[in-house]
Amino acid sequence: MTLGEFTKIINLYGTEPSCWPSELYAQCQTFLATNSEAEALLQQQKQVDELMEQLTVPDFPGLEHRVLNQALPARDSIFLDRLLSWLIPDNNIGKQIWRPACAACMPLFIGILLGNFFSFGIGIEDDSFPYWDDELVMLSLSDYTESTF
Amino acid sequence: MTDEELMLAVCIGEKSAYQTLVKQHLKPISHYAYHMLGSQKDTEDITQEVFLKLWINASSWKKEEAKLTTWLHRITHNICIDYLRKQKRVQTQNTFSEESVDAITGKQNDGDNENQLSLLQKAISNLPESQRSALTLCHYQGFSNKEAAVIMNISVKALESVISRAKRTLRSQLTASKEAPARKPEQEQESK
Repeated sequence: MTLGEFTKIINLYGTEPSCWPSELYAQCQTFLATNSEAEALLQQQKQVDELMEQLTVPDFPGLEHRVLNQALPARDSIFLDRLLSWLIPDNNIGKQIWRPACAACMPLFIGILLGNFFSFGIGIEDDSFPYWDDELVMLSLSDYTESTF
Repeated sequence: MTDEELMLAVCIGEKSAYQTLVKQHLKPISHYAYHMLGSQKDTEDITQEVFLKLWINASSWKKEEAKLTTWLHRITHNICIDYLRKQKRVQTQNTFSEESVDAITGKQNDGDNENQLSLLQKAISNLPESQRSALTLCHYQGFSNKEAAVIMNISVKALESVISRAKRTLRSQLTASKEAPARKPEQEQESK
């Protein structure tokens, strides 16, 4: 091991031998025992670390209050929140009734619109439905027994 | 509540969640800003701005990308760097030496130790921003090299290099200051 390598280990892993990489631990200890410069370097870094521990940060009285009470910009609510607050307004009783009613009717309107414009592949002329008229009569659940006889 | 739950609550505008987050993270954020800036007033301004950004950009935090504390330190780092660049750094060094050395003057420290602390504080304040930041994040804030690298937006190798340079500088400056008074009597004797 060289002094440069040992310095790198001290810089990266600190002065505490237990933090040194396990595969280099034995080499470091041997180098430390035989090299006075390495020992001096370790002591210097220990002193720097000790001094760094003694450096204090002052208190910031009033900072928490200042941060908590700063003016926060109004948040743009997400679409779902806006939809829900529109559907169920807090204060207006009239709106509380008709808005959910409108929302409940929406699937019906959508169904009528879709049914009006799209046949979804079902047509009276379709050959696969030869008895289409009969099926409609049956679906209407009307009683045709009298008319038959 | 977890950080994730609190951030989700902040996203939908719950101020109580914001208050909880402020109480949890105020100390580490303000300490980091102080180590970077060295001025009490600037630290307060920057800390306030960090939490304002938390409120505004809460939805941009991704749990799987970084821990909340890492994300907040990254915001702080970026704001501090911007601030220091605007202030041309020289101004900051002046405030460092005036204010923070006053803060250090330990009641329990003897004169020699106090002198050493003062020298160390000056040496730290004279370090380039990147070295000061790396040293603070790893030594005082307890981040791993990987996390500190994410905060500073550099590679782990680059961070290790920066830390090595910072420690070497501090060691050499403190050693030089210790040797200087020791040499004086020797020189006096030689002159006699």
